[in-house]
Parts: sequence; structure tokens; C-alpha cells
Amino acid sequence: MSDTAATLTQDRQKLEMAALSAPAVIFTVAMIAFPVVYTIWLGFQHFSSTGKQSFAGLANYSKLISDYEFWHGLWVTIALYVLSLVLQLVFGVWLALVLFHAKRLPGIVRSLFISPFMMPPVVAGMMWLVILDPSLGAANYILQSFGLPPSDWLASPSLVIPTVALIDSWQWTPYVALIVLGGLQSLPPSVYEAAQIDGASPFRTFQRITLPLLLPTIVTAAILRSVDLLRFFDIIYITTQGGPGNASNTLNIYGFRVGFEFFNIGYASALMLTLTAIVFGAVLAFNRLRGAVAW
Amino acid sequence: MTDAATTDHWIRRLNLVQLVLAGVLIMAPTVWMVLSSFKPSFEVTAYPPTLIFTPTLDNYVELTKTTPFLSYALNSLIVTVGSTALGLLFGIPAAFAVSWTRISWPAILTLAARMAPGTLFLLPWYVMFRQVGMIGSYTALILSHAVITLPIVIWVLLPSFDGIPRSVFEAAQVDGCSVTRILWRIALPLVASGVAVSAILAFVFSWNYFLFALVLSNGDTKTLIAAAFNFIGEGSTQWGALMAAATLIALPPLVLAALVQRWLVSGLTLGAVKG
Repeated sequence: MSDTAATLTQDRQKLEMAALSAPAVIFTVAMIAFPVVYTIWLGFQHFSSTGKQSFAGLANYSKLISDYEFWHGLWVTIALYVLSLVLQLVFGVWLALVLFHAKRLPGIVRSLFISPFMMPPVVAGMMWLVILDPSLGAANYILQSFGLPPSDWLASPSLVIPTVALIDSWQWTPYVALIVLGGLQSLPPSVYEAAQIDGASPFRTFQRITLPLLLPTIVTAAILRSVDLLRFFDIIYITTQGGPGNASNTLNIYGFRVGFEFFNIGYASALMLTLTAIVFGAVLAFNRLRGAVAW
Repeated sequence: MTDAATTDHWIRRLNLVQLVLAGVLIMAPTVWMVLSSFKPSFEVTAYPPTLIFTPTLDNYVELTKTTPFLSYALNSLIVTVGSTALGLLFGIPAAFAVSWTRISWPAILTLAARMAPGTLFLLPWYVMFRQVGMIGSYTALILSHAVITLPIVIWVLLPSFDGIPRSVFEAAQVDGCSVTRILWRIALPLVASGVAVSAILAFVFSWNYFLFALVLSNGDTKTLIAAAFNFIGEGSTQWGALMAAATLIALPPLVLAALVQRWLVSGLTLGAVKG
């Protein structure tokens, strides 16, 4: 008798729990799952210049393979990704160590350190556009006062990728640093004491003890940054729109322009699905790496 | 002993130098932006750049006169507050249910939006919203931005709900409380600070979001971020007004972030790191 009552309460509870999750699940299915399925379908459609839609089979995907702009965009995406990720991880770990050793940091300092990545990326782009202006910008003035030649920064086809990587790294290195700092603070102090007794130098302690123990945290930071970096959009769209020429035309920028400037929705869908597959692939690869370096 | 003490002293000094260097690199661009926004127009583009000048509000006045800055700001506020409210409304019960039942797929499902490029959703949304004539509506903008706020609310609140001892709920259950009642009357007051942090983070990231409003808004509903192009202008050097716009757009998220900086780390990593 009481058993049935217990089952009844349990069933009721399950139902209530499902009801609590339902709005979020229904919203996500309506706004994400269904649209993604729809995108897959759109990827098989051809949109004519008059907006007429017809079934195209795999035409969009075969176009993608022979499209020079796609391969160029993939190259730009990967170059920008690798450069930015390396910069942000290296300087992020450095900044985390500096912050870790500066005990009793006042809250205002922490606020200043998080300010770059709380700022809209679009604003960061506007700001750096002015600072990096080739003729009147403050950056070139600083270069020249050190006797260095001025640079064209965002206006130079060969420098635009490193420059965008620099802007993004200015914005997100403190974020990586805060994640790594969290990892540093959770390391057991006993391992350092042992190293100190053995008389290990600070550099050796870092190389042999801190870095290996931090690796899982660093990989986590790498995953979180990879997801954003592979779909790089805001800063490029506001500063160069993929230019000069097509020098900073990442896949996300290219897909957006194909879709909303040329209104070739079908081909844009094929491009975006390919980019999504790349992002998920990177996340899965890093997840395996995280498993390998866990302790 | 004295040797070790001297080394220690030098290491601490070296660290301070590095801390200051990092601080300057991080702060200088923002300081330059704010300074430029208060410069008289002839000084903004002065070369060599000037650091000493008589501050003026001209750029801010010019901005409100030559662009519909205030109505863009109002649009941003409507979309951001709307999407944050929607995120909280759907996210709070979902986070509670996930924490209680340990069935995590609803939370993981919402994360998909955090991983896929926004254009992937924007293409079908554009086709769908156009068919029902919703392009340019606040509804379309609020719904699209809720895709950003919902996972933030859920993942920030999950650890907070997890932190409540089970016995609290079990006692309430014995007293015959329904699950929904437990959530609103018992659990929610206990995680109030988590709700505040999640609301602020959701607000910041919705305010900062660029891509969706770029396509889904029209002249009347354009948000500040999507209107950024209007301030840059075609080959103009109205840098003063541009920097004034940039400063004003960045102000709300920066002020809010400073308020909750202590709790931000775990929230920003969507639970990947306990801050």
C-alpha cells in the first residue's frame, strides 16, 4: 500500500521535474534544434537571384570543394585561430602567475583586469581602429618614437591577421589568466613545499610541477577560446569586413556575406554547417586531450 | 639566510614590475578611448597625439545631435532586458530540475548555442522570421538573444543549486511541499546571489551581442551595437564622436561587471572552473 503511494509520489515528482525543464527544452528545440535541421535542408537548396528556391542535391557542397574563397577562408580561420590561441595561452599563463604571486590584490585591480573581455568586441574594434590608424594613430606614434618604422596594421594584407589576433588577445588574455589563476589556487601547497626542500629553482619548479598540474586547466581554457576563435566575427566585421581585399575573410565572415549580402542562403548554409563541424571536431579533440593530461 | 631574503625581495619586486606592465597594457587602450572622447575635435586627430588638453563634452553633444543615439540605446535596453528576463524565466526552473534529477541533457542542449557559429541559426531564422513578417520586431530580437542568455543562466545557477544540502528539500517534501513550491519558496531564496550574478552576466552578453541584431533589426529597432557602423561613417575622421559612442556603449557592461567581479570567474567558464 505504502509502496504504491511512494511510486505515485515519485511519478508525480518526475512529472513536475519534466514540467520545470519543459520551457527551456521547448525553447531550445524551437530556436536551435529545429533551425539547425532546417539549415541542413537549406544546404540542399538552390536560391536563384530572384529568390526562387529549388532542390540542388549536393551542388552546394561540390561548389564548396572547388571554391577558392572557401579554402582561403579556411586558411584565414585556422591561421587566426592558431596565432590567437598561442598568444592568449602563453600570456594568459604568464599573467595568471603574476596575479597569483601578487597576494591581497584589491577588488578594483581585479575589475580592471576583467574589463577588456566584459567590453563588447565591437567596441574593442572601434577603439583599436582609431589607435591603429596608419597615419594618425597612437600606435604608430609610439613605434616611431622608438625609432621603428610605422605599420599599416589593419590596412595591410599581410599584417591584418596578426593585428586582429593582437586585438583579440588584448581582449581575452585576461580571461584565460583568470581561468588559469583558478587552477593555480586549487593546486595542493604540499607539492611546492617538497620542491622547496629539494632546493629546486623557481623555473624548474614551474616546468616540472606547476605546468603539468595546470595542463587540464589550460586545456579547458583552450576549449573555451577555441569555440569563440573558430567562429571569429565581431572584431573583423567592424574593422575590416574581411579586407583589405579578402585578407581577413574568415569562414564565418564569408558565410555571413554569402548569406546576407548575396542572399545565397543555400550555399551559406553549406558553409556554416562545415564550419560547425570544424568547431565540434576541435572541441572533441581537446576533450580527448583533457582526458590524457588529467591527474 | 640573508641571501634567500634578498632573492625573495627581488622576486617580489620583479613581480610588481610585471604586474604594473600588464596593468598598463590592459588599461592603456581603454584610457585612450575615454580620453579621446573628451578631446576637442581638432585635438582628437592631432599628430603627434596629445595627452594634455581642455576636456569638453562636445563629442557627446554632437553624437546625440547627429545620430539617434538615445533611441538605439532604448532598443538595446528593451532587447537586453527582455532576453535576460526570458532567460531567467526558462533557465531558473530548468537549472533546478537538472540539479535535482542529475539528468543533464537539457542543460547540455542549451550549450549548443554556445558552440555553433551564430550564422548557423541566423540563416534559418532569417528565412522563418521573414515568412511571418517578424524581421525588425523586438520579439524576434528578444527571442534570438534569449539563445545567448539561457545557457548562461542555467550554467551559472547549476553549481548554486548543487550547493544546497539535499536534507533541506527532503524535509520540505516530508511536509508535503510540491516540487514547484520547493523551488520558489525554499531553493530560490537560498541561491539569490547566484540569480543576481547570472542575470548580470546574461545582461552583459546580450548587450554585447552583435551578429543577430545586424540582420534581424531594422531602422527602428536597431540596437547600439548593430548601429556601431553608423558611428564609424564612411572614411570620416569624426573620431571624437566615435570614441564617445564607444565609451557609452561599453559603460553598462563594465559597470555591471565591476559590481560582481568576485563571482564572475565560475560564471564565465560555464561551470568548467570553480572560481
